[in-house]
Formats: sequence, C-alpha cells, structure tokens
Amino acid sequence: MDRVETPDTKGRTAVPANVSESEEIDLTPIRTYWQLVRQRFVRHRLAVIALVALAILVTLAVVVPLATGDLYQQTGFARSRGPATLEAPLGYDRLGINLFVRLMKGTQTSLIIGLAAVLIIVGIGTLVGSIAGYAGGWLDNLLMRMVDVVLSLPVLFIILMIVAFFGVGDVRVVIIAIGITGWTLAARLIRAEFLALRNADFVQAARALGAGHRRIIMRHMLPSAMAPLIVAAALGVADSVVTEAALSFLGFGISPPEASLGNMLTGATTLFLRDPIQVFYPGTVLILIVLCASFLGDGLRDALDPRQKIAD
Amino acid sequence: MQQTDPRAGTPGELLTIEGLKTHFYTQEGTVRAVDGVSFEIRDGQTLGVVGESGCGKSITAMSVLRLIERPGRIVDGKVMLRGKDMLGVSESEMRDIRGNQISMIFQEPMTSLNPVFTCGDQIAETVELHAAVGRKEAWARAVEMLTQVGIPEAARRAKQYPHQLSGGMRQRVMIAMALSTNPELLIADEPTTALDVTIQAQILELMKALRERNKMAIMLITHDLGVVAEMADEVVVMYAGKVMERAEVNTIYERPHNPYTKGLLSSIPRMGEKRERLEVIKGVVPNPLNLPTGCLFKRRCPYAMPVCDTPPPVRSVGPGHISRCWLTPAGEPPLIGEDALPEMADESAQELTVMPR
Repeated sequence: MDRVETPDTKGRTAVPANVSESEEIDLTPIRTYWQLVRQRFVRHRLAVIALVALAILVTLAVVVPLATGDLYQQTGFARSRGPATLEAPLGYDRLGINLFVRLMKGTQTSLIIGLAAVLIIVGIGTLVGSIAGYAGGWLDNLLMRMVDVVLSLPVLFIILMIVAFFGVGDVRVVIIAIGITGWTLAARLIRAEFLALRNADFVQAARALGAGHRRIIMRHMLPSAMAPLIVAAALGVADSVVTEAALSFLGFGISPPEASLGNMLTGATTLFLRDPIQVFYPGTVLILIVLCASFLGDGLRDALDPRQKIAD
Repeated sequence: MQQTDPRAGTPGELLTIEGLKTHFYTQEGTVRAVDGVSFEIRDGQTLGVVGESGCGKSITAMSVLRLIERPGRIVDGKVMLRGKDMLGVSESEMRDIRGNQISMIFQEPMTSLNPVFTCGDQIAETVELHAAVGRKEAWARAVEMLTQVGIPEAARRAKQYPHQLSGGMRQRVMIAMALSTNPELLIADEPTTALDVTIQAQILELMKALRERNKMAIMLITHDLGVVAEMADEVVVMYAGKVMERAEVNTIYERPHNPYTKGLLSSIPRMGEKRERLEVIKGVVPNPLNLPTGCLFKRRCPYAMPVCDTPPPVRSVGPGHISRCWLTPAGEPPLIGEDALPEMADESAQELTVMPR
C-alpha cells in the first residue's frame, strides 16, 4: 500500500514559512481513484453479487459457443428430448439440440445486441442532451421537442417496422433499430444534469480561466454527469435485451437456426404444457441479465462518483 | 466620465475601466447592476473594491472578463487592457486573455474546484490550456505551483481530490491554479470570505507574497474593510452600481469624504474602544429596480439635504481622491447659491446624459 504517514511536522522539508504548523495536515492516506472506486463498490453488496453473476454468465456466453462451434444448431432425432448428461447439462429439446449450448449462444447474441444498442443509446443521448443542456434557449427547446416526438411514438411498432423493412433476422438492423428509438431517457437525464452544472461554480471558474466550450463540456461537465449516464446505460442494457427478446418472440428478431433468448422462448412456448422447464431456462437468464444490469448500474454510479465519501 | 487621473495612458497602465455599464434585463425591469463605473489599475498595484452585497462589485469583475450571461449585458463603456478595448475582441481572443493575462479566484473554494478531478489535474489543465507544454511538464508546473502556495507535500497533495482538502487548502489550490499562467492581473472575488479568520490571514499573507514575487496587480473585491487595509494600495467604494469614492488606501481610512464611506468605516469594531453597540448604516440598499432619484444613498445618509434630489457630482476632493457627493471638498454642505449650483448641475448633467435605452 502507498500509505504514506505524514510524519511529525519537523520531519517535513521546504515548507514556506507562511504555513502555520498547525494548519490542516490531515493524515488521510492518499488513495488513488481506482482504489476509492473499489472501496465504494465493494460496499454495495447487491452490486457485487450482480457483478459476479454477470461475470459468470458472460464468461459462459463467450467460452461455450467458442468451444462448441455450431453445436447449438445441430439437430439429431435420436437425442430428441434426451435427458441431461455431462455434455448437455440441461438435456436436449425436441429436435435433439443441446439446450445448454444453445442457451449460452442465445445469451451471447442477446448480450451483444444489448451492449451495442446501449452504445448507440448513450452516444445519441449524450450528444443531444449535452448540447441542449449547455446551449439552453431555442436550441434546447428544439431538441427537447424532438425528444418528445420520439417519446410519443409507439416504440415497439417503430422497431418492428424498421426491422421488417431493412431485414428480418439481421443482428445489425435489430441493434440500430433499438438504438435509435431508445436514447430519449439518456438525453433527458444528461440535459437535466447539464442545466444544473452550467451554473456550477467550478464551471464558472473554468470559464474565467479561459476554457472553451468544448473543454468545459468534455472535461468539466460530462464527468460530473457520469452518474445518471451510467444508470441510464445499465437500464438501457436491460431494456435492449428485453426488446430483442420481444422482437425475436414475435418472429422479427433473430430467427432459427441462429439462437437468441427470444427465439428460444418462442420455441419453448409450443411445448409449454408438455415440458414447461424449457421456458424456464431462457426466461431465467433474461431476468438474471436484467436484474444484474440494474444492480451493477446502481453500484457503479455510487462507486465512480468521487464526491461520495466513504463513511467512517 | 471625467479624467481626473493624469496617469491615464501611461506605460504602467494595466487595466482601465471607463464608464462601464452592465445592465440586467429582467421581467420586472432593468437592473443597472453596474452603472458607469470607472477606475484603473496599474502594474503591480492592488486595488480594493469595497461595498455592501449587491452593489455591483462582482458584476464589475465578471464584466472585465466578459463573463456576463443572459439576461445581463454590458451596454456601455470601455474595458481596456494595456490600451486594447476588450469589449471589442473576439470570444476566442477573450478566452486567451482569461486565465492568461487576467486570472480570477472565487469566493467559494468549496465549490469552485471540479469535484471529479484531482487538484493537480486541474492546475495542469489550466497550464496546458495556455502554454504549449506536454502533460508531464504541466504536471510538474502544477506541483511547483502547489509548493509555491505553501501546500506541504505538494506532489502528494496534487493527487488528491478537492473534497479531501480543507477550505483553506482548496483556496490555496484555487490560487495556484489562477497563478499557474503568471497573469498580469488577478481578480480576487472575496477570496477569504468563506474561510475562518486564522486561515484568512494566511491566505492574505500568501497573496501578498505572491504579488511581490510575480509582480502582478490584484483587483481585490471584498466587503471587509480590514482586508482592504491590509492589502490594497488604492480603494474604490461602490454603492448601488456606482463608484462613491476613490482614493489611496490611507486617505480612505484617515480622511474619508463620502458619507457612505464614513458609514462603512464606523461600522467596523475597533480595538480598545468601549462601546455598547456598533454603529450601523441605517436602512437597506435600495431596490435596484426602484432606485431613488438623485443621490442613491440619500435615504440612508445622515447628511442628506434637499440638494441630494439632484444627482451629485463626481469631483476631486483632494490629490488622487474623488467622491460622488454634494458635500464640498472640505466636507461642508454646499452653498446653494445662484453661483454654486449651475456649475455643479452641469457636471451632474453629464452623468445623466449617458443613460441609453
């Protein structure tokens, strides 16, 4: 540890005479930013659990499809509805597809869509929100009315239209469709934060010391607006994953033989009465992703904010 | 405004403000926050700007840096830096002046530092902004500045966040940041108001030492006459957006002319003086939306006379000493005769004519 204890005042060197000895020598050890972040994050029990769960899920979603190749779409009637074995911990479905492998491939697809869509959401949201909040006036009005328009649209139908028009089953189209309809919340949060920050003393001070608009936005305002942005991103991941599932469920998202949590659910519903456990698997993973993303967002928001003091 | 100062335009002239008017156009009406303020600051000089809250001190400072935001606007006047009118330059030139030639420190050290960056980062950023140096050099300069403002273990402190420092330390960081570019003029807006008394004295000592070392001028905005006595060479007393009196610091304390200045001085407690109550200036600052006609101070002034319904003249009452009052230079009520008034009314008429809109 770089715990440097401040020695007795006599031990110090080259202190200008005008600093009285008694003044403000606090003994707080200096911790780096990331040490502080870790400390604050660890205090969030749920967030830690979410992080661990998500880490396991992500690892599986990366490793299993890599190791098994196209096993997730290999049918085999001999194995139809076969029991759980070591190679297939969740057994086989009606077509003899290894359920565990397919579930992991589906998780991978869903996570990729969720993360990529969130990048678009956060990108557009930050751009629109920061310009509106910083500029204020008519530009703010114009942009926010634009947000209202997007908000008033029935999002799922717009996404369906985009996907139907540009290509059913194309991952990229799904990502873009979710991205360009979902940025309004992020934009509003960033705008609200910027409106408050615009008159903050430290922004005034930066201006008085000659910082330009871009520098003020990028260096001084955005980092302070990080907390709501992270929450918006976490919620965005959860939202996008659910939207993708809904799309695939309706047959507009990822279609078989490609795997996604949504189309696994569709497949499972036809068997619901005979084999309800097959609905349970993708459903559980979906819920897990959504919950973990929100808890993680909560924990990160508190951890990344340097103003949050560590109690005691 | 009148040219009482023969030094105007001399090489030592750093900042000249002439007839500056900053008005705020609010829904309820126009607030003349700064209404025809003139003064100048020479190289290495410390000018104290004194007045009650809301008298336009800070707005004057912000106007100098052109940081006035809607609904405020600089409507008239000149702000000359080394003979160049800053109200005419482009915004990008202005950005170059801010922080480079003129720096500013603020009243609230608690909130004037960006909470998400380390102190060193913030100083280094200012250095990078104005000088063509790399990250490493900028950081070295930041640490050097922190040492200069008397922060022990500067290298270590530079890595700390503002919330990990006390108020006095933060103000030192602010000062280090403002001085990191070697400005010619430092505007200090109530730099010690938020600090407790012992720290105040230290910060003032520090500012004095740095002033000598860097040969910079300071425009010290404060309502604390004790701070002014300690620091300033010359004093401008403001009231309701106007300069009431201006003189060398000793003159202000020993021979104040304006009743407002006298009122301010008598409301400071003095050591070794036994008194039941401290004297106060009666009444409150007039509503900026509804200023009285004539002298703005007349309702609170113990010397108020009928003539005060006419705006008082600004005139020289001694060497380098001007005052906005009807009292004669000797402090007597004016002779309201046919011979005295027209000339004075003429002077005051000049004041009245420059009121646009």
